[in-house]
Amino acid sequence: MEYQLILFYFLSAIILTSSIAMILIRNTVNSALLLVFIFFNTAIIWLLLNAEFLAILLVLVYVGAVLVLFLFVVMMLSEHEKQIPKKNSYIFLSSIVGLTMFVELLLIILSGNFNIATPVINNINVSNTSLLGIEIYTNHLISFEITAFILLVAIIAAIAITYSKKKKVLRQNTETQINATKADRLKIMKD
Amino acid sequence: MLTLNHILILSSLLFCISLFGIFVNRKNILLLLMSIELMLLSINTNFIAFSYFEHDIVGQVFVFFILAVAAAESAIGLAILISLYRLRNSIDINIISRLRG
Repeated sequence: MEYQLILFYFLSAIILTSSIAMILIRNTVNSALLLVFIFFNTAIIWLLLNAEFLAILLVLVYVGAVLVLFLFVVMMLSEHEKQIPKKNSYIFLSSIVGLTMFVELLLIILSGNFNIATPVINNINVSNTSLLGIEIYTNHLISFEITAFILLVAIIAAIAITYSKKKKVLRQNTETQINATKADRLKIMKD
Repeated sequence: MLTLNHILILSSLLFCISLFGIFVNRKNILLLLMSIELMLLSINTNFIAFSYFEHDIVGQVFVFFILAVAAAESAIGLAILISLYRLRNSIDINIISRLRG
């Protein structure tokens, strides 16, 4: 067996066991950390498949940003919400559904002619990043712009949903300050 | 020799495990969101495998877009979760059924 295949089996064993542990573990912080681990190992598998730019993007965007966001949310919730109630779980029924779906997918995969071996790479001089950039900026420019717009909408929506005005903070009220006249401040008293 | 079948079986296993996770943890919204992220990851692995073995870079372009949209989706989902927690003081999924009428 060659080195690449051994590495693939090792990584997939890690990914599958830690994903099962992520689902069944009771502490949400531990599942978020296991999700970080799964994403990192999948990035290595993407590196095996010559997708260097997307592998490093996965580590930067997901492990760096999204999973940290998950950990922040777990931190903000109170202590008793982090524990999953052990009763009322549907492990038997849901494992039947999952296994049925996997067997069906396996039948489709094995019936098709997907047994393609690793191809010979023709242009080794062009890097993956520049190839991806050329493809995005020539053929998929409109989709790229729409993606940028979707990210902007997501930023604004996330801020607008979570924004809340604090009630007990003392602030300067500029409008009343400007509109105050002399009669409001001074009171002339005569005998 | 690493073939396409290996990757396809790995990603379908990962997809089914995360589906199982959605069914098991349907009380906890945080774990549900994490399982959805895992599903998207397995789909992306499929795309990259096909792009590698079929010599077509468009699969990786698709993965790029899916990553961006998934990040936006999880950000909005977590924002909704935060505002729900502020409103009801709990993230129990049974409370959300209040809109049912």
